[in-house]
Amino acid sequence: MNLQDFLMNVVFGVYPYVALTVFIVGSWIRYDNEQYTWKTDSSLLLSKRYMLLASNLFHIGILSIFLGHFAGLVLPHGFWIALGVSDMAHQWLAIVAGSVFGTMCLVGGTILWLRRVFNPRVRAASRYMDNAILSLIMVTLVLGLSTIPVSIGHASHGDPTVMLTLSQYIQGILTLNPQPQLLAGVEPIFRAHMFLGMTIFLLFPFSRLVHVWTAPFNYLGRAYQIVRSKRRVRSA
Amino acid sequence: MSHFLDRLKFFDKVKDTFADGHGIVTHEDRNWEDAYRNRWRHDKVVRSTHGVNCTGGCSWKIFVKNGLVSFEMQQTDYPRTREDLPNHEPRGCQRGASFSWYLYSPHRIKHPMIRGRLLELYRAERKAGKDPVEAWAAIQADPAKRDKYVKVRGLGGFVRTHWEEINEIIAAANIHTIRKWGPDRIYGFSPIPAMSMISYAAGSRYLSLIGGACGSFYDWYCDLPAASPQTWGEQTDVPEAADWYNSTYLIITGANLPMTRTPDAHFATEVRYKGTKIVSMAPDYAEYVKFADLWMPVRQGTDAAAFLAMGHVALKEFHLQRQDPYFQEYARKYTDLPMQVILRPFKGTEGDGFVPDRNLRAADFDGGLGESNNPEWKTVVFDARSGAFVAPNGSVGFRWGEEGKWNLLPKNAATQDEIEAELSCIDRRDGIVPVGFPHFQPGEPGLLFRNVPVRRLKLASGEEVLVASVFDLQVAQYGIDRGLGGGNVAASYDDASVAYTPAWAAKVTGVKAADIERTGREFADNAAKTRGKSMVIMGAAINHWYHNDMAYRSIMNLLHMCGCVGQTGGGWAHYVGQEKLRPQAGWAPIAFALDWQRPPRHQNSTSFWYFHTDQWRYETIDADALMQPAAKGKYKGYRLADYNVVATRLGWLPSAPHFNRNPLEIVAEAEEAGAHDEAGVAQYMVEQLKSGKLDVAFADPDAEENWPRNLFVWRANLIGTSAKGHEYFLKHLLGAQNGVLQEGGDGAGTKEVKWRDEAPAGKLDLMVDINFRLNSTGAYSDIILPTATWYEKNDLNTTDMHPFIHPLSEAVTPGWESKSDWQIFKSIAKKFSELADKHLGVRKDVVALPMQHDSPFELAQPLGQVRDWKKGECEPVPGKTLPLLKVVERDYGNTYRKFIALGPLMTKIGNNVKGLDWNTEQEYEELKKCNYTVKLPGVSYGMPSLEEDISVCDAVMRLAPETNGEVAHKSWSALSRKTGIDHHHLYAGRHEDKITFRDIQAQPRKIITAPTWSGIESETVSYTAGYTNIHEHIPFRTLTGRAHFYQDHEWFLDFGEGFCAYRPPVDLKAHELVPAKVRAKPHLTLSWITPHSKWGIHSSYQDNLRMLQLFRGGPYVWVSEDDAQAIGLKDNDWVEAINANGATMARAVVSQRVPRGMALMYHAQEKNVNVPGSPSTGKRGGILNSVTRIVVKPTNMVGGYAQLAYGFNYYGTVGCQRDEVVVLHKVEDRDIDWLERPLTDEREQQRNPVGIGVK
Repeated sequence: MNLQDFLMNVVFGVYPYVALTVFIVGSWIRYDNEQYTWKTDSSLLLSKRYMLLASNLFHIGILSIFLGHFAGLVLPHGFWIALGVSDMAHQWLAIVAGSVFGTMCLVGGTILWLRRVFNPRVRAASRYMDNAILSLIMVTLVLGLSTIPVSIGHASHGDPTVMLTLSQYIQGILTLNPQPQLLAGVEPIFRAHMFLGMTIFLLFPFSRLVHVWTAPFNYLGRAYQIVRSKRRVRSA
Repeated sequence: MSHFLDRLKFFDKVKDTFADGHGIVTHEDRNWEDAYRNRWRHDKVVRSTHGVNCTGGCSWKIFVKNGLVSFEMQQTDYPRTREDLPNHEPRGCQRGASFSWYLYSPHRIKHPMIRGRLLELYRAERKAGKDPVEAWAAIQADPAKRDKYVKVRGLGGFVRTHWEEINEIIAAANIHTIRKWGPDRIYGFSPIPAMSMISYAAGSRYLSLIGGACGSFYDWYCDLPAASPQTWGEQTDVPEAADWYNSTYLIITGANLPMTRTPDAHFATEVRYKGTKIVSMAPDYAEYVKFADLWMPVRQGTDAAAFLAMGHVALKEFHLQRQDPYFQEYARKYTDLPMQVILRPFKGTEGDGFVPDRNLRAADFDGGLGESNNPEWKTVVFDARSGAFVAPNGSVGFRWGEEGKWNLLPKNAATQDEIEAELSCIDRRDGIVPVGFPHFQPGEPGLLFRNVPVRRLKLASGEEVLVASVFDLQVAQYGIDRGLGGGNVAASYDDASVAYTPAWAAKVTGVKAADIERTGREFADNAAKTRGKSMVIMGAAINHWYHNDMAYRSIMNLLHMCGCVGQTGGGWAHYVGQEKLRPQAGWAPIAFALDWQRPPRHQNSTSFWYFHTDQWRYETIDADALMQPAAKGKYKGYRLADYNVVATRLGWLPSAPHFNRNPLEIVAEAEEAGAHDEAGVAQYMVEQLKSGKLDVAFADPDAEENWPRNLFVWRANLIGTSAKGHEYFLKHLLGAQNGVLQEGGDGAGTKEVKWRDEAPAGKLDLMVDINFRLNSTGAYSDIILPTATWYEKNDLNTTDMHPFIHPLSEAVTPGWESKSDWQIFKSIAKKFSELADKHLGVRKDVVALPMQHDSPFELAQPLGQVRDWKKGECEPVPGKTLPLLKVVERDYGNTYRKFIALGPLMTKIGNNVKGLDWNTEQEYEELKKCNYTVKLPGVSYGMPSLEEDISVCDAVMRLAPETNGEVAHKSWSALSRKTGIDHHHLYAGRHEDKITFRDIQAQPRKIITAPTWSGIESETVSYTAGYTNIHEHIPFRTLTGRAHFYQDHEWFLDFGEGFCAYRPPVDLKAHELVPAKVRAKPHLTLSWITPHSKWGIHSSYQDNLRMLQLFRGGPYVWVSEDDAQAIGLKDNDWVEAINANGATMARAVVSQRVPRGMALMYHAQEKNVNVPGSPSTGKRGGILNSVTRIVVKPTNMVGGYAQLAYGFNYYGTVGCQRDEVVVLHKVEDRDIDWLERPLTDEREQQRNPVGIGVK
């Protein structure tokens, strides 16, 4: 096995599992042991300026992108075909939606990043990981946006192969059938984007991103009053 | 189970439902609740309090967890009061509850810090091989080096060092100063010993051992009501708060009870349920006004006029129209009203007649009325029974040189026959003459002649004189028409043309005449019915004026007319700081090292700062303008500073430094010239003074040999709070960046003080601040030492407001490198001794001691006549016409050994307080066992140890009559001998009590009745001032032995203050001199009112996060809505208050609370939190005192004369600042400059505001 194959194996065969394991187990451990750190760490109290705009752009953008990735890459190919969405339509949809939401996320994230670095009050309250994770997201985002011209190139030649390959690769990972060699043919920019994306998962439990797990959607449907009984659930 | 897995139990989650499914029951994990329980869980609770000069003196529980203080809470285990009285607890307010924040806050001083530039210089000298003292000397000898660190005071630049090095630098500086300039050039400022007695004593003991001067604070804070020593010979004694509850009529003025007496205010609200009426006098709608049945909104600074008018009503209706028997008896026995006064003929443009002169004395009669001891000091009454003049018991002449007749029993001293002192001779008069009374209201005559009934009398000298009683003169002074004809008297209260009628007072004060009249009548009527249970609660707001003694005397007059003083529920209740140092007699010997050497050096701080911060150079007040038309005026043409020099050289007031030469060298020269003993040294000095070779230092305060050189500030915030004339401190004393906006020169034309055209900048070589938080004082110091907080040391605390003694306790060990003050000074003393052994050795020092009150020297200068040796009117005689000159041997190498042991003079000489002496051998032996003895070989081997803080606490308590029944017994026995009356019943029940430090840690303990104080601890009455004077017949410590309406000293008469007169605020003129730029803008001219704060106790707390969050988070000043509107000012706008003294920045609080014409800035907002630069000065926006300047008052300098004799914090000039007027204008937000730029050379050089000091 040559060095390149070895690296491909490590980065796209082993690393995804390391990242996903750390992501899930790490989140679990933190949720069980560090309940007081399980929070958004919002800096809204320190400075409200631009926050409404930037935070909404960023969050709507990134959540939409996440859903887009999920829909396009994780859902089985047959699902889309059954819906009558052709591969090319799928690809153009991904390009358009990715551009729109990616740009929203980029604008919002840039403002948040500038605020985090240059607003003295926010800066003073920032931890290393706050800066690191936001920067990492932004770099990953920029790489993701940089794949769009490449994808447009493919699409304009009517070639959905790369998209399908990536989808196949992701589904391989999720079905415990890693096929790093599938990525040998795709452009390096995709690989870079994927590597950083996996790194986000890796760092997720160590950062404020854990708040993603507990977005308070249950408020929409919960009972008005909750009484917690005095029965001890477990010995402390 | 896991939190995470619990989340997955979707189907099992809802155990039950209720309310039609709107509610659910779950069995979720509830361990998260422990977080909230743990917040209040703790390892131990320790009793401590806050040493913050707050009269609360509250006992607190300090909760400690994991070795850290987590929070504090009010203690509620006070002993219960008697059945009919509310309890003292809970005590404590929002401020005290916020204290624990400081321990771990960014303000905390954690390590010994020093100005970086100074440390570099010092290390360089040391590296060059110099020994510490020589290294310090080398820095001081080079102006360039000295300038390098002096100029950047207040501009940051501190670096951390270690204790060893910092002690070495301090010791070296002290030694160099002692050697080169004299020990009296080392000054210590620390206030209010009662708030943490041992910490105070630490520094004062060190300074007293080395010969440094300790500065007073009570007078400097202007909290000392000079009227109290004048009237009663008592510094201040006041009722405990519980006594308000015994009152049936309360007038409250200038004391904001709920805000500044928070834990005690309940007594005032509770007593209203018994039907007590409360009248509040305040110009603004202050918090205490809310409790009032009647609010009299008196114009600021005019309270005296209102009280004089109330006195007019009381005197007329209760002494003249009818003679209330209780009032009359009280007046005869306990006041000077029956004393006779000689009238002096006067001719002037104001009219012809007489003016009151000195009191008649036994010495004026042939045979001295049978008195051979001190006949010049025995005042005279007319006895209605025998129809003759007699010298009654109790005047000051009986206090010294004899025993048994110093009491207030109504007896003819010569025969001990019962007498009835006559108040008025109106029915048996020899004639009626017009007597002139000084009057100061602008637009009205300066001398008001009123007819007074008199007796004719031939003195022993052969001179024929007219005499009148103080009563008859006082009635005339109040302008009451007695049917004797003549002008300037009123038959009706509505006559607004005659001074002191209610109608006249309404004009001056803005209060309705009917309210004044009714209140005066009700106050007196209530007192008549209850035997004196009418009370006036008063405080700083009326005491901080230049003529505060007049305001206070106007109140005291009313109280004495109505027989209120000395009665529980009655009298005056003056509250300012935490003045009552209850175990004073046990504390003083340790604090001032009286156990090793006497006397210590004391200095009245007001005069000290007036000269050494060069505020005298800016003096706008003309002393002549303060005089009355009929003044003898021997010192006409003198400036205020000149008067202080006269007071110093006559032995009235102290001075630091004493003379323009090093006192160590003076003694050395005297010995070289042949002096063998103290008398010889004194003789040598007298000759030198006469020849002019030696002079008092204040005569040339700007000469470098007369500068103070080293300053210690501990337990204080001198620069950030009490420095009235803050900017002058910065400019002249410290040589720092300052905002003084004038050149100075108004003070020129002095006759005794040498004027130098060039004013010095930067007199201090070294300023050391000892604190646990970095405030403005630390910011301007050269060295900051980290001290233990109030939860980290063992100490003692007492207050006026309740009779308990509290500990401060070490709940946790001092944080970081901090140490208790006692340990800090102990370590400095140790280093000092090591170095001093080589550089100083054993030296003799001479202390110039003013004639002390409560000592035989209060009889130094008879008849109130001023005789000035410098003018050739008498010979300079130490202790008579000159300060006492006492030689003190200083064994500098043994300073540390002496510091740590209770010295031998406690057994050789014993202890004393207020002129009473007793033996302390027994307590000394007990302390050897209680504290163990010093093991260190040397001079103090085997003596009781004072090495540990708790040992010092126990020594204080063992030696004090308040905490040791045996000492109470000894001191009361001494007093019983003086008075000839048996007082033992006062403490008999507690003869065996001994209170120790561990006792008071267990529970607050009530003190034992002691002769130090005029009230008693009893199961039947609350503590109240003057109680023993009235009920035990112990004389007031005054000339007559009675409470004084009249002051017969020459200077009092010259300045028109023989009787209380209304004197309006003085015009300091500083507001006339503001930059044209400000004058061109819309602006307000407002009086500058600085009452105590709601969110701080002085400067403490107001800078802590918890308190800052309660209001504007920075400095603020109240302005009335109407005034604000006039200049377009909106709430929370930035404003600058400015005058010639400097400028300060604050947020405007636009409110209906304050009347027009007043800017109200809470006291002690300093410049360390959210204070921007001032656009006018270009410097940091200042503190409340940036716009003030002190003015001294000649009558407060008088000494050597009975109650008018010096005592530390007892009498002297007071640092008044409330007559000040400022110009206030809006500063736009865009013009706010936070001055957060790096230090440039240009900025460093620009110490004054641009344009100042360039000529």
